[in-house]
Amino acid sequence: MPLRHHPETSLPPAARLHVRRASKRYGEERALDEAHLEVAAGEIHALVGENGAGKSTLIRLLAGVETPDMFDAALDGDVLDPSSPADAHAMGLRFVHQELNVVPALSVAENLFLGRPYPRHALGLIAWRRLHREARGVLERLGVTHIEPSTPMYELRPGDAMLVALARAFVTSDAHATPPRVYVFDEPTASLSRRETELLFRVIRELKMQNVSVLYVSHRMDEILELTDRITVLRDGSTVATVDTATTTRDALIHAMTGRTWQAFREPEPGEEGTANVTLHVQGLRNAHLEDVSLDLMAGEITVLTGLAGSGRSELLRALMGADPLEAGRVTLAGRTLIDAPRQRIDPHAAWRAGVAYVPEERRSEALWMSGDVRSNVLLPHLQRVTRFGMARRSLERREAAQWTERVDLRSRGLHQVVRELSGGNQQKVVFARALAASPRVLLLDEPTRGVDVGAKNEMYDLIRDAAARGTAILAVTSDLEEVFTLADRVLVLARGRLVLDARAATLDRAAILSASFDEGAVAA
Amino acid sequence: MIRRFGTLLGLIAIIATFSVLRPDTFMTVPNWLNITQQVSILAVVAFASTIVMVTGAFDLSVGTMASLAGMIAAAAMQADLGIPLALALALTAAAVGGAFNGFLVAYLRIVPFVATLGTLTMFGGFALLVSDGSTIYGRAIPAAFGGFGRGGIPLGTIDGRAVLLPNLTLVAAGVLIVTWLLLEHTGYGRRLYAIGGNRVAARLAGVRTRLALLGAFVASGVGAGIGGLMLASRLASANPTQGDGLMLNAIAAVFLGVTLSQEGEPRVLGTLVGVTILGVLANGLTQLQIDTYVQQVLTGVIVVGAVAVGSLRRREA
Repeated sequence: MPLRHHPETSLPPAARLHVRRASKRYGEERALDEAHLEVAAGEIHALVGENGAGKSTLIRLLAGVETPDMFDAALDGDVLDPSSPADAHAMGLRFVHQELNVVPALSVAENLFLGRPYPRHALGLIAWRRLHREARGVLERLGVTHIEPSTPMYELRPGDAMLVALARAFVTSDAHATPPRVYVFDEPTASLSRRETELLFRVIRELKMQNVSVLYVSHRMDEILELTDRITVLRDGSTVATVDTATTTRDALIHAMTGRTWQAFREPEPGEEGTANVTLHVQGLRNAHLEDVSLDLMAGEITVLTGLAGSGRSELLRALMGADPLEAGRVTLAGRTLIDAPRQRIDPHAAWRAGVAYVPEERRSEALWMSGDVRSNVLLPHLQRVTRFGMARRSLERREAAQWTERVDLRSRGLHQVVRELSGGNQQKVVFARALAASPRVLLLDEPTRGVDVGAKNEMYDLIRDAAARGTAILAVTSDLEEVFTLADRVLVLARGRLVLDARAATLDRAAILSASFDEGAVAA
Repeated sequence: MIRRFGTLLGLIAIIATFSVLRPDTFMTVPNWLNITQQVSILAVVAFASTIVMVTGAFDLSVGTMASLAGMIAAAAMQADLGIPLALALALTAAAVGGAFNGFLVAYLRIVPFVATLGTLTMFGGFALLVSDGSTIYGRAIPAAFGGFGRGGIPLGTIDGRAVLLPNLTLVAAGVLIVTWLLLEHTGYGRRLYAIGGNRVAARLAGVRTRLALLGAFVASGVGAGIGGLMLASRLASANPTQGDGLMLNAIAAVFLGVTLSQEGEPRVLGTLVGVTILGVLANGLTQLQIDTYVQQVLTGVIVVGAVAVGSLRRREA
């Protein structure tokens, strides 16, 4: 049943949270365009949408961390216009974010009361015993009895740490404050085990019993269908549907999110891909983020890897670069063994030398030396080539740097301009020039066009195609479905560290990719 | 502009002040040659410290390493091993000590402050062990070794007195050139700056960051060792704590130099300016017969002032 014919269901009588119109632009981009949302009292309401549909922006507006362009909303009939996180908290909104925001060195109890008044003795000293008692009470409300409040946060496993972060939203401050009216959960189960997820669901259902509302943001369709009462779908910043969970299906939701019909994809014919051109052969990679990943990269082919956040897509590239440790797996490059974990490992230095070039995900923190100049940034992995007996040869350096910055059409005041002064797109071109200067056999790209404008984006695409045409095997990670289809000869999808889809791009549509991303294993057949 | 080169202008102002207050003695060739000799030891240690500080780390152990190296050389000479072997032993110990620092920081990932604070104490202890706590001087030190530190190349005579270009000044100049070439003209230097700029990015771009850091600490140790040998030569004696005070001044000199750089990273020529400021101040204030305690306060005020101005500039940028 396509959802767009049922854009709204009848509203329950008591609307707790009513966002009539919310808009927000970032530069040219409309992140939210008159989105609307209605959550009833005592309702568990899901908010779904593709990456970039506007879910996070809407939550940030509710939390008061972002200034809206337009925000017309009410909470229990009163105007809701939070100007700061404290403001939102005072109005009775509670947020549990994806990022834990905990202080590892402090105890569980201290983290629970972080930023709230600690209980105190008469002299103003902290009443530690009372603090621990109250912390234990908060955890017990969640059904958590195995975490000792005095334990330092860093000793907890990720799942337990998430439970503490959740519990923090249940700390009641002083008696005069507004009791919580709406809880917003942003991808709370990303690092939880199944058992921990069930604990969380129990708590959420208990909240519902107390007539508290829950806004639940998740990519996991099975959870949404199991837990929620109604679902609001965002697409391109606008609300496209609100439906009763009981009357919808997974496919109908994906259809609403993508605006396209789900089509079964065609499995590649056996033998369609020869092994003659295999540049990089990857067999059974396994580490903390990857489970038994095997794939081949062909010379001259653009393979695009996608999947949800936390699916292991960046970690796969890092493992191939030798940036993260591997427990098991073999990688051969043009027939030569590069990695044979755990016996033979590599580091990024060895990967570059073997002809693997890498564009990391985070330009500022992982790729560029911001206070260095263009020339040094481009040549950093290639210094061996432009030095003799360790001494730099200026003219050779200049020539090399000029050649590759011209190739990427870098707009700068010269090779000595400091990278920090360049625009985002030009900074990314510096990273590209660095990778291309390796004349790589394998080019690993992690979100190659993140944060660059449309013009620069197209230039990047041309550079990638050009590199492929020269025989480089390309593996590009992207979370942008448009980009998948713009670039890909072949598409890989990872879900929770497993490769769940490996097919020619021409045989796929958006829905097939999303479907594979959301429910691991379900599509692999 | 004024802020960027404030430190340099400060140096010029200091020189001008002393020139006016001591017109007969300050701005003279012999006095300036004297200053270069006075700062040569600090300069060598500061240049070597610059190499480590380029990577964003620092090395607190250079002072006691200087003491230790001087002590080892003196003990070896006392045992009649000859000057060449004594120097080789001292410098080898300095390289090993530096490598140990590098191992702690790069491979065990101990914070440089803590790691080198620990080895500072260790090296100081070794110096005391080697000498059994006593000073080695007099006939135990060969005349050639002691003579080097006081000698120089004759330049001619002024007012009937021989003027020498001090040997120690030449050593410092040599270390300056080597350090400058290393940092500004080698691939290794470029990698060190990249590590200081963004260690994660440097690693992902194929720089062997741990090995590079290890090398920087070895260089720092060897530089400290050379400084310690120069000091022992100049004094023609070695006591187990004579180099300890070099560390604070070396780091201060590097920070003074940092205020001159556009991007806030250490440059060895900046360090040279820093060393010069400290040397000129000490020389001029002594000529003005200002109490050494007051000298110390003034030096501290100038270091803090220069760095404060530098950080204000960066906040505006």
